Amino acid sequence: MALDGIIILDHYGRPIIQSGFRSSTTAYSILHIDAVNNALQKAERSADVDSVIYVPPLNTANGSSACCHVEVGDLRFLCPVSGDVDPLLAFAFLQTFIDILREYLGTVSAATLRDNFDIVYQLFEETLDSGGHPLTTYSNALRDIVIPPSLLNKLLSVTGTNFNSTINSGFGAGAAVGPFSSPLPWRKTGVRYNNNEIYFDIIEQLKAIVNKNGTVVSSHVHGKIEANAKLSGTPDCSLNFTNPQVLDDCALHPCVRLHRWNRDKMLSFVPPDGRFTLMDYTFSSNPLPSPSPTQQSLTSVMSSRSNLTIPFIIKAIVELEDSGGSFDVTLTSRYSTHALENIVADIHLGPGAGGIRCNVSRGSGGGGFINAGGSRNLDTSGASSGASWSFDAQRTVLRWEIPIVSPSSSWSLHGSFSTGTRAPRPSHAIRVRFDISSHTYSALKVGQLKVTNAKENYKPYKGVRGRSSGEVEWRW
Amino acid sequence: MSQPGQDAKFFQRGKIEEFRAELLAAETKDKKFVKRKTVLKKIVANITMGMDMSPLFPDVVQCLGTPLLEIKKMVYLFLVSYGRSKPDQIHLVIPNFLQDCNDRNPLIRALAIRTMSYIPIPVVTEALSDNLRHALKDRDPYVRKTAAICVAKLYSADPRKAERGGFVELLRDLMLDSNATVVANAVAALSEIGDRQDGVIFKLNLATANKLLAAIPESSEWGQIYILDSLLRYVPERHTDAEMMAERIIVQLQHGNSAVILTTIKALLYLMNYMENRQLIDYICKKMGPPLVTLLSSGPEVQYVALRNILLIIQRRPTVLKNDVRVFFCKYNDPIYIKLAKLEIMYRLARAENAKEVLAELQEYASEVDLDFVRKAVRSIGRLAIKVEAAADDCIQALLDLIETKVTYVVQEAVIVIKDIFRRYPGKYEGIIPNLCENLDALDEPEAKASMVWILGQYANIIDNADELLDDLCYTFLEESTEVQLALLTAVVKLFVYKSKVDKAKELVHKVLKWTTEEADNPDLRDRGFMYWRMLAINPTVAGEIVLSEKPPITTDSDRMDRGALDQLLLHTGTLGSIYHKNPETFIRNAAGKALKDSPALNAHSRAVLIPLARTQLPSMGPIVVAGPGPTEPQAQSSPVAPLPPAKTDVDTSALPTQSSQLISPTQDDVANDQDETEEDDEPPHSRQASNLDPYSNLDNAFGGYLADEPRPMASRQHDDDDDLLF
Repeated sequence: MALDGIIILDHYGRPIIQSGFRSSTTAYSILHIDAVNNALQKAERSADVDSVIYVPPLNTANGSSACCHVEVGDLRFLCPVSGDVDPLLAFAFLQTFIDILREYLGTVSAATLRDNFDIVYQLFEETLDSGGHPLTTYSNALRDIVIPPSLLNKLLSVTGTNFNSTINSGFGAGAAVGPFSSPLPWRKTGVRYNNNEIYFDIIEQLKAIVNKNGTVVSSHVHGKIEANAKLSGTPDCSLNFTNPQVLDDCALHPCVRLHRWNRDKMLSFVPPDGRFTLMDYTFSSNPLPSPSPTQQSLTSVMSSRSNLTIPFIIKAIVELEDSGGSFDVTLTSRYSTHALENIVADIHLGPGAGGIRCNVSRGSGGGGFINAGGSRNLDTSGASSGASWSFDAQRTVLRWEIPIVSPSSSWSLHGSFSTGTRAPRPSHAIRVRFDISSHTYSALKVGQLKVTNAKENYKPYKGVRGRSSGEVEWRW
Repeated sequence: MSQPGQDAKFFQRGKIEEFRAELLAAETKDKKFVKRKTVLKKIVANITMGMDMSPLFPDVVQCLGTPLLEIKKMVYLFLVSYGRSKPDQIHLVIPNFLQDCNDRNPLIRALAIRTMSYIPIPVVTEALSDNLRHALKDRDPYVRKTAAICVAKLYSADPRKAERGGFVELLRDLMLDSNATVVANAVAALSEIGDRQDGVIFKLNLATANKLLAAIPESSEWGQIYILDSLLRYVPERHTDAEMMAERIIVQLQHGNSAVILTTIKALLYLMNYMENRQLIDYICKKMGPPLVTLLSSGPEVQYVALRNILLIIQRRPTVLKNDVRVFFCKYNDPIYIKLAKLEIMYRLARAENAKEVLAELQEYASEVDLDFVRKAVRSIGRLAIKVEAAADDCIQALLDLIETKVTYVVQEAVIVIKDIFRRYPGKYEGIIPNLCENLDALDEPEAKASMVWILGQYANIIDNADELLDDLCYTFLEESTEVQLALLTAVVKLFVYKSKVDKAKELVHKVLKWTTEEADNPDLRDRGFMYWRMLAINPTVAGEIVLSEKPPITTDSDRMDRGALDQLLLHTGTLGSIYHKNPETFIRNAAGKALKDSPALNAHSRAVLIPLARTQLPSMGPIVVAGPGPTEPQAQSSPVAPLPPAKTDVDTSALPTQSSQLISPTQDDVANDQDETEEDDEPPHSRQASNLDPYSNLDNAFGGYLADEPRPMASRQHDDDDDLLF
């Protein structure tokens, strides 16, 4: 179980910074960078490159290895692994590391990395041991050892250049406030806020495939609860839901006491300081009887993922001819209370497609009213009200964008394309992405949130929000 | 490379001499060490760019006395990069190391220990040993946890010395530390040592394993991974031990970290080998499904790893994800490697109940843009027909529809799979042959052409114009690829056997035999030509019987991985081995293989197929035994003198019910208990013997080929009653 290190490549595949590869030769990292760049060059779409690339050894004296890589913005993070390593460990670690970088640097880009390379270096050192063992990755604990640049700068401006001695003496002063003195690895001791507050965001994402008859072939709602805790001391929170039965396959932050959850469906935890993902779950629209953790009743666990209503209907008529085709697509919202926002529909027209002629319009239905419950005031008048289309000639993707689809309204796109001398071979599917604010598919409701604190007594401000998004493949 | 920004200026290439001068200058009048810090930063920046800064060694080391943590860190960074290459100068630093090891700041103590462990030079190791012993008992957990990992480094520098120094015992004691992170790191270090081929063996007993489990809730996710992974070093002696342990770790399936989930699954799969409580096993199987599905909602990287692992898991534990085939339906914009992995899983999960759904999806894919994916989708339709008898009619119809499209690559794939379907269901679908014949001209790939030729030859008796069609195909005989030539040769011989009275057939067989024996360069082709010629000349009747002998029906049964190999691979769940479907010691140097360990609790079938650890260092011993059931097409026809299928002996006893052959298994009682465990368990151990000698025989193309499971002839009659046991 060992990760050999991390290499960060810029947009052109050049290394920006890398952790020291101490247990291997210098050629090792170059070998991996080359392997990744070659694979990327060969692939048509960069997304088609295997995420675990096999890297043959330079010579017979070395063993072969593999390179796990992820793309983040214009950067690519590489994690070479040799030995029989769990690639998920590499990916999980990369993800954690990227999150830490975000926290430290704000945005993660080639420029910010170069500007703060010493911080990044220290983070390498503290998070990944040269033997490949991930070390400290809780940002609460890390902030004690590696000072975030913003704080550093602040100290610098306040105390001149004299800050280092303060830090040093801080460590020396006694173990009480030193690093790793906290009994909870994810929370540091002695946190203080003037305004105590805790926020929860319930975010759900729908992924679905609908076949040409409009039947949902598969659908899956993945949800998570993100929290932002700014609470003094060591607060103990307990959160319960009025309808916990909609939650399925829960994955919880390590701070959550699992036995309490399994017994009472109550999230009981001492939160980390700052932002964290409290839980991930799947929405099961078909709640089970009480899932007692022993016997039978389990046959239903698997079959319970019944299909959910897709928030809209698409009618697509596509006619293909010898060297092109025409299409007429109508999208109608099925929701009567919530508006769909930021709708992006992608139609892949296949190789050689071009000569697009398109017309977007707003159809009938829905009208200007918003039914009760929709609290926002939407301007839905106007012929196309902002709907537009564009065509990416390189990827041959026709994109149809509608900023807001108000309840029960309907929208259409019709037009034609040509493929020159070739026969048209479009993908028989439209991919639609959308957002819905202040709405969750599961209608998960927080019942009560209690924050208790042994030492201090304060009443924190609490807030819960919901938002949803979706990605639907509608076949035609 | 220089970018505007605070520190980007340090990336300008500096000259060694310049730095040296600057460092020297910094020794005087350096208020708050700002100058030194700036130079050191420049030097570190240059190391990043790959410049060799090692000539500065003596100068940089001078700064180690600076009482500033930031500078200390940079000097240590420098030491880590170049310490190894300066064995003659490293003694200069030792006093500083020793001083820092006793600093009152735990961070500095840990930093010193850690840096020393990175420099595997005897002087340093010597100095490290004593201090490390203290550090392992330091009052600060940060130092202890760092020291634990350093033991593994010390061990890799000099294993025997580390053992003599009693460090392994010290680590063992740390497993009982009060701090969970320390425990986890001790486990990580011991695992690293245990994974070395020259390392001490790291085994856990029940008491320690339970102690480790108790540390899980307080560990970081990485610590949990180490601890869960180490459970594979515990061999349960009683069923109940394994069961209790599984019950304790099953909650970890709710963890948010994907690596924790997969490691938990690995541990559960391992423990299940030692369990007997059927209900609990079923319960665990069902619990494993949802987290695996959750992994699929992560990014494509994680999905890929998850999919490859799911593919292995469902072969061993078919009830996992049994009802979740829909989760694996492909989206058109999935990366191709995800699509192919999903396709394979869809095929594995297909059974009579969901065949319709799966088929509808496969048909959908057959119209996709990506050629490679379309081909595999078409092929999967054929494999589905072979696997699920109830769906065969629909599949054939789907294939005929696809042939109607006249898209050449679709037609070719369809023809290839239809040939296999004919063999699986003899006498059922021959009616569609005319449809195939219409598309003869569309076939230009050797495999498709050879398949079509096989069909023409095999069914020459029911195809009226078979002679004409074959004659047409033979016009280009000499230009064809060997594959097609061999197929043509066999086909015309069959044609002749069927229609020996027809002049055209006589003429054709003569022509082809002459070509193959006189003009062909390929020795196989020539030899086969001679063989047929003699057979036909000596006794045409017997030749006919041989050539048209009844072929064993085929199945996709054999595409499943050998159970023993599967058990072994599953010990590597989540690791590279499971991605490539190969045992790591076969492609990773110094990787120690893992094997299930026998114990009274091990279930009988796992024991029966137990594969002892292969010694990779030794050259492979003994003759290579080619495992495999009967001969495959087209050799089946071409070599009538081929040895009887190895399973032939079983055929004789096949009058007995399958169970009876298990009487030879010593633990028949357990067998009965295990009946419904996985259907595979029903297979008597002895029929596996051939493959036991070479457990990886069917993993050959696991790296590249994704369809490792072409339909093959059924191994023996024995399979008849438990046909395609997977579902």
